[in-house]
Amino acid sequence: MDLSIDDKVQALREEMRDFFAKNLPPEFARKTLIGEKLTKDEHKQWHAILREKGWHVPLWPKEHGGPGWGPMERLIWEEESGMAGAPRLNHVSQDLLGPVLIEFGTPEQKAELLPRILSSEDWWCQGFSEPQAGSDLANLQMRAVRDGDDYIVTGTKLWTSYAHVSNKIFCLVRTSTDGPKQAGISFLLIDMEQPGVTVSPIYSLGGMLSVNEVQITDVRVPVTNLVGREGGAWDITKFLLGNERLMGAWIGVNMSLARQVRERLGRVGADGRKRSENSVLAQRVAEVETDLLALRYTTYRVLADELSGKAPGPEVSVIKVRGGEIMQALSELLMELAEIEGMVHPLSMPHDGVPVVPDELEHMAQQFFDKRKLTIYGGSSEIQRNIIARRLLNV
Amino acid sequence: MDFNYDDNQRMLFDMVDRFLTDKHDLAKRAKLLTDPAAEAALWREMAELGLMGAAFPEEVGGFSTSPADPYVVMERFGRHLVTQPFLYTAVIGGRLLIEGLSGADREEEIGMVIAGERQLALAAGSAHMLRSAEDTAFAAVPDGNGWKISGRMPAVLNGDRADKLIVAARTAGASGELAGVTLFLVAADAAGISRRNFRMIDAQGAAEVVLDGVAVGAESVLGSVDGGAVLVETALDHGIAATCGEAIGSMEYLIEATAEYTRTREQYGAPLAKFQVLQHRMADMYIQTQTAKSMALVAALSLDGDPAERMRMVSAAKAQVGRSAKYVGYQAVQLHGGMGVSEELDIGHHYIRLNFINQLFGDGAFHLRRFGALAQAA
Repeated sequence: MDLSIDDKVQALREEMRDFFAKNLPPEFARKTLIGEKLTKDEHKQWHAILREKGWHVPLWPKEHGGPGWGPMERLIWEEESGMAGAPRLNHVSQDLLGPVLIEFGTPEQKAELLPRILSSEDWWCQGFSEPQAGSDLANLQMRAVRDGDDYIVTGTKLWTSYAHVSNKIFCLVRTSTDGPKQAGISFLLIDMEQPGVTVSPIYSLGGMLSVNEVQITDVRVPVTNLVGREGGAWDITKFLLGNERLMGAWIGVNMSLARQVRERLGRVGADGRKRSENSVLAQRVAEVETDLLALRYTTYRVLADELSGKAPGPEVSVIKVRGGEIMQALSELLMELAEIEGMVHPLSMPHDGVPVVPDELEHMAQQFFDKRKLTIYGGSSEIQRNIIARRLLNV
Repeated sequence: MDFNYDDNQRMLFDMVDRFLTDKHDLAKRAKLLTDPAAEAALWREMAELGLMGAAFPEEVGGFSTSPADPYVVMERFGRHLVTQPFLYTAVIGGRLLIEGLSGADREEEIGMVIAGERQLALAAGSAHMLRSAEDTAFAAVPDGNGWKISGRMPAVLNGDRADKLIVAARTAGASGELAGVTLFLVAADAAGISRRNFRMIDAQGAAEVVLDGVAVGAESVLGSVDGGAVLVETALDHGIAATCGEAIGSMEYLIEATAEYTRTREQYGAPLAKFQVLQHRMADMYIQTQTAKSMALVAALSLDGDPAERMRMVSAAKAQVGRSAKYVGYQAVQLHGGMGVSEELDIGHHYIRLNFINQLFGDGAFHLRRFGALAQAA
């Protein structure tokens, strides 16, 4: 047993810190850390900066333009970029679809689509959930009916993140109703900039717009847009979600929130006393900090096992459940520490003259309520517990 | 012992419920938030109905026969997700008028509230969620026969609609001391007052209030000079009991709505309500709500008793209700899945309000400390 991190990895961590300190525009970091959304243009600017360094597609292998990092380097990246307040770029294109195309795409798909992700020309969104397919994803109904060299696609996707800023969507579609539900699902790439595709915003708690409903009606999609074989989407989906499995810990973002909580605890509250003198509050903060340490080392442990060749087990679900819960707890503490100033509605604030509440507090409540989704999406905490229980009990 | 509403309260309950069923839902609420004239009109209608009188005993012109009457109103407000400031104007502001004024002044001021022609806001408790009467962001210095008040509060709840502000200002002693706080009833448009309006995360209105040497006469003092903090404590306890009622109404609604949703929503070929883990979750929501409800009622019924006992029960109730409200709200959202975090459904709005209530007037940690200190002293 050994807790130390490889010298080479440690050197990379230092390099990342140094890079963020010198190259991350403070305004982007400020916005990201307080939960204000960046514009698409700002994302593109940051993409260009990262591109110059060769870190714009951190999950990709070298031959396709990525840094060729292994799992440990990627985790360090996640930690350092979260801590620095680096915006999470066009994540669906880079972290989700990119690796799928590299693994399962045809040479034509790779040649056409990967460069467009690398250049930030294409912004993809992920069409998985549907009105009747949430936890039970295999129940999805979006139909793709073969007609000559095309599929004709009709259906509704729900909770689609970034659809309002994307030009393309990859969808799980039903190409067959025979046999097991999973076997009739295919992975299809669809251009959103055409008639028959409608995006309607869904506002989440606190007035954030991050998810949408995407309606697709009688849209013709060339068969060449199929990724993998017809009916083969389930394995691709597993691969895609597997790439994300340690991201559910949100280690970097959680560490950044914990640092903010600790810093605010040290300040003087409205009653003129240091907040850290409030023993209940101080204990709650220490509790979450130790929870976060436990999560961080669980993540390392899973990763170390994986690097030594052990197949990932239900620990991944532990990470997903705890990552979300800890982020909820941290954002709640931040909101509470800000007292009444942390409970304002950011969309209603007057912006004439001196701000009513300091900038960094304006989004506290909105951020807390927005984090409510973490234990719901991407396999709810109930689903994660089912996975754990199934493996544990062997039933 | 009887925990049921009496006949008057039953009538009040039915009246409020009928009115809100008819006049209020999520869509109408959203419209009210962008239409001050519609909000004012609804307020007048509520006053015409006689609602404000529930916060005032007969001897001051109302019809309340029990200190728990505002609880009845707020419990329905909680169920229907009403953002109207009955709490700030009638319950807290009203209590301060009852206790702080006398004679013709009191009759006139209370008459205006009951008629629906007066909105009040309490500017006290510094940047806290209105929890500590001994902390204030304002200071008043003698000025001729009156006072000059200065200070700034970033968020005064209902400060956006208030016609009159009840300002807690330090007139003697040091911050953190109960003695030395004086309450002033000040016209919100008085010279030297500036306000900027916005909304809190739960959609209720608020304003930044800045007082820059606002001159007020001696007659504007509520209660006694330097003796305002104890009035604030009393009024906030009334506010807390009413707010606990609001939370109970909201929680009971969430349980019904969640049960209904899980009975109809199917995943894996069965209604969600068939999954035992979710059944137990809803049973836990019920357990939390029932225990909270008992304490909420006890708090409301303790309001006109011995002050130490009142404070002890109110703090016990607030801590319990806050804890339960957070649990019930969280689970209601969880069981509604994505729909729970969408603004299109009322579930998430209830969740926000319940979290706001947990913070409002002091969170669990604050009230457990207050409860502990009182229990230790007893």
